[in-house]
Amino acid sequence: MTTNNNEILVNLKDIKKVFFTDDVETHALNEINLQLRKGEFISITGPSGCGKSTLLSLLGLLDTSTSGTYELAGHNAIDLDRDERARIRNKEIGFVFQAFNLISDMTVAENVELPLTYRSDLSKEERQQMVQEALNKVDMSHRANHYPSQLSGGQQQRVAIARAISGKPSIILADEPTGNLDSKNAQSVMSLLDELHADGATICMVTHDPKSAARAQRSIEVFDGKIVSDQSTEQTPALAL
Amino acid sequence: MSFSLDIKYAARLLSKKPSFTALTVSIVAIGLGLTLYTFSLLNNLLFTPLSFSDGKPVYALERPYDHTHLERRDLMAIDVYNLQKFTDIFDEIGMYQMGITFVGGTDEGLRKYNSGYVSDNLFSFTSVQPILGRTLVEADHFEGAESVVVLGYKAWQTQFAGDPKVIDTIVPIDGSEPARIVGVMPENFAFPAVAEIWQPLSHRAVSPSERDFVFVHAFAKLANGVSLAQARLFIDTKSKEVNDLVGDEIPWLIGPSGEYFTLEPFKKAYITQYYGMFIALLIVVFLILILACINVGNLLLARVNERIKEVAIRVALGVPKKRLILQMLWESIFICAIGGFLAFLLAGWGLEITNQVFDSTYQVDNLKPFWWQVGLDVKSIIVLVVAIFAMILITGLIPAWRALTGDFNAVLRDGTRGALGKKAAKTTRVLVISEILLSCVVLVMATILLVSSYSAGNADYGIDTENRLTAQLQISPSTYPIRFDTEFEAADRLARTKFYYDLKRELESRDNILDVGYMSQLPGTGGGTSFFVIEGQEKEVIEENPYSNNEGAGTDSWDALGMKIIQGRDFDYRDAAPEARSIIVNESIARDFFPNGDAIGKRVRRANRPEADWYTIVGVVTDTYHGSTMEFSSAAYNTYHSMDNAGMFRAMTAIHYTGSEAKARQTLFDAVNKIDPDIGVFHVQSYDALIEKPILLIAAVSKIFLICGVVAAFLAASGIYAVAANSVQQRTQEIGIRRALGSTDGKIMRLFMNQASWQLMIGLLSGLGIAAWLINLMSSTMIFSESSYIIGLIAMPIMIALMVLIATYLPTKKVVNMEPSDALHHN
Repeated sequence: MTTNNNEILVNLKDIKKVFFTDDVETHALNEINLQLRKGEFISITGPSGCGKSTLLSLLGLLDTSTSGTYELAGHNAIDLDRDERARIRNKEIGFVFQAFNLISDMTVAENVELPLTYRSDLSKEERQQMVQEALNKVDMSHRANHYPSQLSGGQQQRVAIARAISGKPSIILADEPTGNLDSKNAQSVMSLLDELHADGATICMVTHDPKSAARAQRSIEVFDGKIVSDQSTEQTPALAL
Repeated sequence: MSFSLDIKYAARLLSKKPSFTALTVSIVAIGLGLTLYTFSLLNNLLFTPLSFSDGKPVYALERPYDHTHLERRDLMAIDVYNLQKFTDIFDEIGMYQMGITFVGGTDEGLRKYNSGYVSDNLFSFTSVQPILGRTLVEADHFEGAESVVVLGYKAWQTQFAGDPKVIDTIVPIDGSEPARIVGVMPENFAFPAVAEIWQPLSHRAVSPSERDFVFVHAFAKLANGVSLAQARLFIDTKSKEVNDLVGDEIPWLIGPSGEYFTLEPFKKAYITQYYGMFIALLIVVFLILILACINVGNLLLARVNERIKEVAIRVALGVPKKRLILQMLWESIFICAIGGFLAFLLAGWGLEITNQVFDSTYQVDNLKPFWWQVGLDVKSIIVLVVAIFAMILITGLIPAWRALTGDFNAVLRDGTRGALGKKAAKTTRVLVISEILLSCVVLVMATILLVSSYSAGNADYGIDTENRLTAQLQISPSTYPIRFDTEFEAADRLARTKFYYDLKRELESRDNILDVGYMSQLPGTGGGTSFFVIEGQEKEVIEENPYSNNEGAGTDSWDALGMKIIQGRDFDYRDAAPEARSIIVNESIARDFFPNGDAIGKRVRRANRPEADWYTIVGVVTDTYHGSTMEFSSAAYNTYHSMDNAGMFRAMTAIHYTGSEAKARQTLFDAVNKIDPDIGVFHVQSYDALIEKPILLIAAVSKIFLICGVVAAFLAASGIYAVAANSVQQRTQEIGIRRALGSTDGKIMRLFMNQASWQLMIGLLSGLGIAAWLINLMSSTMIFSESSYIIGLIAMPIMIALMVLIATYLPTKKVVNMEPSDALHHN
């Protein structure tokens, strides 16, 4: 899947997500329409339970919508089977989670290499080179053989970012990437995301933190499962349909 | 106060999940119940030494156990007599021989008793006083002394109606002079084991002046300060002396390595042939207990994993380490205490059933040793309490350790985080492998023992048992004496033989009797093998010759047993001649040693006595088995010599009848009364009942193994599933992460199945290794059937493999089927 600058990377139309618990229907997302362009750095904000993380899960193909259409780089991402969704997650999407979600049994290098091992088109040497590049980018190559439990929270999140970018994805989805970090480490992680964006990465970040949100080019606010605000913070093209 | 809060909290948690509580309590009750039952059984039968009022253990002094004939072997009386001098080693040594004695004296005629022919010091040895009269005294052994008998309580009550004036009554004793009743022993006294009456050993036995062929068993107590090891060292030197003295002259008396005297705990000597089986049972039950511990520990571990956030909050609130451990232990304490109480009831119930089985097993022959009365005693209670404490520690410390070693900061920072730490992951792997290993050992052993004993019980003995009645016939030596070493000896022997054939003719003339046969021991019973030499095929070492079971058989006895002569001839009048040396061999011998079909006319003899006569093979009969197929005594090779010129004192008969068994029994008694009313007819029973008898104890233990097998299978299946499912459950987030990073469902399934396969392989190989080692230990005293090996070593591992793979596949599939976002946020 290849894209050109200013090309629409993500196109959501009339997306709904309903959870059914016993006989109660909960509308987590309601008629979401959203387009993201390649190279954008977007923040999604809103109060707890508003649906922003659910929206990110749908964008990352971690969950399926109840209705609506989703095109990723011009391709239908709704009617895919599980393996096809897994392949797209692996190649096109990089995830950064609030809780880092590193696998504790694996070293830093192994964690970063993990998504690459799911690709059959990479040799071991290529994988190791990509791991080294990713770790260099987040300045964690000196910790390659450590285990996650031996790192600080900020370092763990840097490793998680290295894992997200190691496969050179089309888009990085970050769910509260600074939520578990102190202000110094949070600042450091945000600077890293800025650098990635400056290098051309497309980033979509869910955050509570107004300071972090302010660093994005475009800020989307979600409330009660709906997009209530879509503002450009740098006067770059943004569309709220 | 704070402890009471913890207790209430633990009780509340248990009551909130009744099915979990019921499951864990059941597992504890079963594990502890089996352990308590088995310990109490073996404690009574084996572990607690036999002792009397002085508390000193009693030992059996005899020759090494003969595994080929399933016999305890006695010592030459002079050797026991000589040992009695060493009072610095032995406190006291007594002698005995067991036999059957028929006592008359009442209108009912003769009654059969298990008689102890004993040295007079047996009574002072036990410190048990008679309730009437006296016990035996030294003078009773003297040659020419009046024949005397001491009655057991039961004999006194049943035959003499508890007559207090029974002392000095002269009673007829079959085969010897009338005897004077001189004493009555108290109830339950049956030393050495099953004696119902006591008679004095001969003077030649208790005070031998020269080495002659008088054999006795002996019982002994060690002198103060002498250990069993010291005493054994001493008798080893004495064995060597006997070997030096008579080894060349009487080679069969001494074992191949010069062994002669053995000193074993008295109870153990009585169950030597079952010793391996009992120890196997103990090992299996102990492994089941560990399996139960791991299962309960794992279930509680899963509970702690569910409650890890609560634990983290307690840690954050500053709970002291000891208090946290105790908090984790309270649930175990409740579960193990309730389970322990139920185990006590279960074990007591099992032991009660065991006593009933013992009683019914030995109802016919009264051969149940007097100490075989099992129950729960103080030692059992101590073992139960210790086991409960051990179980509390094992099952409680696993979750407590988890509670102490968690990364609680991470747990508190992220409410959804439940990822497995490195140590916890290792613990889970160890739990899974342990569960597989233990399940493998328990299931393999239980299956092999169960299938072997079942095979023995349902073996094809090569005979037809349908509509067959069996009985033991015993002729009166008074009526049919044999005047040994005289010109009348042959005629006397034939006179006895005539009785058997008169009875056969009489019975076969009746409408409901088809055939009557005689043998010294009928196929399916008896057993015992000896090496035999085939003329022209002699081996230099006795043990390299083939071995067979050898029985005396009557002419025309085969049809009654469903056997057939397939080559040569049956015994006939020629074999009744005193000098006749004819033998019939079975089909297996003919096939294996005379492959050209030329067995007839060849000669064989017993191998252990070079001077033994050569016997000429006159016929070949179909194959049968003597003894249980589970014991070494059973052999595929059988030889039969004619009973006609032997003049057998006792013979087993098999009667093929039509109509009802009751009518056949009546016919037998009518015919015997018509021919000779003094003939003893004992142990009348169906052929099926006769065959069951030797393996009743094995069958009873098999049932325990069956219970063990079912329990082990249940524990293994539930435990493996619980451990594997718990392991997968704890890795739900990891699965979510892998899927988020693009792993396909298939790759995740393969990853988990591969990991499970490795754990399976390690657990199975280790388990099979341990099981093979244990089976090898037991195979010195037991024979396992081929089918048991196939089921135990192939089917059981396959079953365990399936259990493990299913137990991994199902929970992994369940987690993989979750949306990745759900798996990532799984709590």
